[in-house]
Amino acid sequence: MEKHTFIITEKPDAAQRIALALDAKGKAKKMEEKGVPYYVAEREKPIVVVPAIGHLYTVADEKSGRNYYPVFNFKWVPRYVAERGAKQIRVWLETISKLAKNADTYIDACDYDIEGSIIGYSILKYACGNKENIAKRMKYSTLTKEELEKAYEELLPKLDFALIEAGKTRHEIDWLYGVNLSRALTLAAKDWSGRYATLSTGRVQGPTLRFLVAREKAIRSFVPTPYWEIRAEIEIDGKVFEAEYEKDVIEIKKEAEAVLNKCKDKDGVVENIDVKQFQQMPPTPFDIGTLQSEAYGLFGYTPRRTLDIAQRLYLDALISYPRTSSQKLPPAINYTQILQSLSGVAQYKKLSAELLSKKELKPNEGKKEDPAHPAVYPTGKLPERVLEEPERRIWDLVVRRFMAVFGEPAIRQSMKVAINVNGERFFLRGRQILKEGWLKFYEPYVRSEEVLLPKIEKGQKLKVKKIILEDKFTKPPPRYNPGSLLKKMEEVGIGTKATRADIIQTLYDRKYVRDERMVVTDLGFEVLEVLKKHCPTIVSIEMTRKLEERMDKIQANTEKRENVLLDAVEILKPVVEQLKDKEKIVGEQLSSAIKRARLEERTVGQCPICGTGTLMILYSRKTGKRFIGCTNYFKKQCKASFPLPQRGTVRPLGKNCRGCGWPTVQIRMKGRRPWNLCFNPKCPLKEERKT
Amino acid sequence: MKCVVCDREAVKNNYCELHSKTYERILKKYEVWKKALEISWKEYLSQIAKNPLTGEWAREVAEHLIKSGEDVNGA
Repeated sequence: MEKHTFIITEKPDAAQRIALALDAKGKAKKMEEKGVPYYVAEREKPIVVVPAIGHLYTVADEKSGRNYYPVFNFKWVPRYVAERGAKQIRVWLETISKLAKNADTYIDACDYDIEGSIIGYSILKYACGNKENIAKRMKYSTLTKEELEKAYEELLPKLDFALIEAGKTRHEIDWLYGVNLSRALTLAAKDWSGRYATLSTGRVQGPTLRFLVAREKAIRSFVPTPYWEIRAEIEIDGKVFEAEYEKDVIEIKKEAEAVLNKCKDKDGVVENIDVKQFQQMPPTPFDIGTLQSEAYGLFGYTPRRTLDIAQRLYLDALISYPRTSSQKLPPAINYTQILQSLSGVAQYKKLSAELLSKKELKPNEGKKEDPAHPAVYPTGKLPERVLEEPERRIWDLVVRRFMAVFGEPAIRQSMKVAINVNGERFFLRGRQILKEGWLKFYEPYVRSEEVLLPKIEKGQKLKVKKIILEDKFTKPPPRYNPGSLLKKMEEVGIGTKATRADIIQTLYDRKYVRDERMVVTDLGFEVLEVLKKHCPTIVSIEMTRKLEERMDKIQANTEKRENVLLDAVEILKPVVEQLKDKEKIVGEQLSSAIKRARLEERTVGQCPICGTGTLMILYSRKTGKRFIGCTNYFKKQCKASFPLPQRGTVRPLGKNCRGCGWPTVQIRMKGRRPWNLCFNPKCPLKEERKT
Repeated sequence: MKCVVCDREAVKNNYCELHSKTYERILKKYEVWKKALEISWKEYLSQIAKNPLTGEWAREVAEHLIKSGEDVNGA
């Protein structure tokens, strides 16, 4: 084979797009070696584009075995060495090494961020034989042909070593914290109970769990406070409007009743009319965090899901690189061209035309910046396949947001009418949009309601139809959901845009939390209690944030990697020693929490047959099959038992059936939507369905 | 000694740390309820025990206090 250019990419889809973009005829050849796909493009000379499948190398213990700690010696190894179930990585790396052998030019075309830079660097260093110092870097934010060709023509002369150093440090510190603390917890529990259960915590995971526990404590210990609200139903021109009493909250019942009695059967007089106009600026472009929060609010997608969908849209070259913190859209992305391309879609045609008719296109940019990528924007390329519904939604959201940022400010008007009812003041409020501005571009994602009031004049008499006194109670603080938790992590500056969604998922996987509106389990409580008691620095938000800042400084070349690593180890060492000393106490505390969690997982609810026993998910000794049975069976007092599906997972829902009041369970099977099951064979809802 | 409400270790007033803090909160909130509704300690406890907005631990403590007949001064 003649000498060729070797390009490494992060994912197979990206390899295909790059090869097609760089091939002179746009027809790169797809090849395969031991199941590993790669592409050959012809330009001045052959270009071999080989994909990775994410990280192929990872940090691992220098010694083998998992049943000990502390561990402070580590090395970078191929993933198949450190992880079970990563066997295909060996073949992948062998193929990469073989294809890199005959090359004379090496290009790292992985995503231009911390993770991508480490993926490219470690492959060039370890699999290609120390080519990291001669390799060039391809930098792009979209996978469109134009940008890829430009990035290839304007290669960066070397890898971004500051970014790589920062990334390596982050991986190494996270590994040191994760492996030591997780092993300490897991082994303490195992040694005490003799049973294995994976427990974990980490540099970011601990503080994140801390937010959740603090909120959970506030909710569980919440005592509501009574208060009263008064409203008046006012009739104007035959229509009824609701006016609020001037005090939002009345804390004493007698006071509220006195107002009610004073206003009963009395008419009102318009005392004052206050009209205000204000501008509402367009939204800022999407950084990944805002996109994730917006998608959660609008569609209920978890941050992880939104990121995955956005990644797919990026690999289809429909949107720019999504893992960005930027809220900036530089003119270089060519706003006009994007809008012109988008006008090819019927629903965007009119909107694009309106923006294109503007003298100047200027986005309302936010403050956040990202040196590597602009904000998330549509490339203008139209889908070549039918997008799945979630993909279509996210694409539409990105497109409409992109258009909205170029819109004019909206002008809203608010009207506040003060009405005097026998000496007590009520306010009638109206809201109106005077100029739509950017709002029309962001439909249907704009959340605002208009309340149009009829013409009212000062001194006008108004008929009060009814005075309503309502008993109210203060509410507990809302539970975090994956979207709001991600926002909180961003606000306090822990984790990175690439890791936050995964950390939230880990909290679910470890069973520290459950449900979409996140409820901390007993196990979650106990893990945090242990950490707070025996190693408070680990769950300190301040410590985590400071470490994040120092790691960012490595990227900016103002801090040395060695110093940060050494300091991180200095913090970790005494913590791990402390955990080791207290292993028995920690083990006991965690073991009983694990036991309670396991029992909780199997407890369905009170037995509706005997009324005193508890229904549990049990396994037959004879057949091994699972079923629901009553605990009173063992006392020979109740024979209640109900069959369960044998495939998938069963989880008690903690809610009773609305038809018969029996407890219910949720069944989850791979490839199917989870469904709720009432196991009462005589449930009236089942009878209803039959007829 | 175990907490009178749950399995955890009691640290104060026969409650574990979590239930003890909740108990203090219940005591403090009684002043607000008394001013707002002029109700007795018993009425207050029964109101918060049946209120769906009351947190799980607060309900547990309220139910325990109703059962034990303990008054607002802890007697």
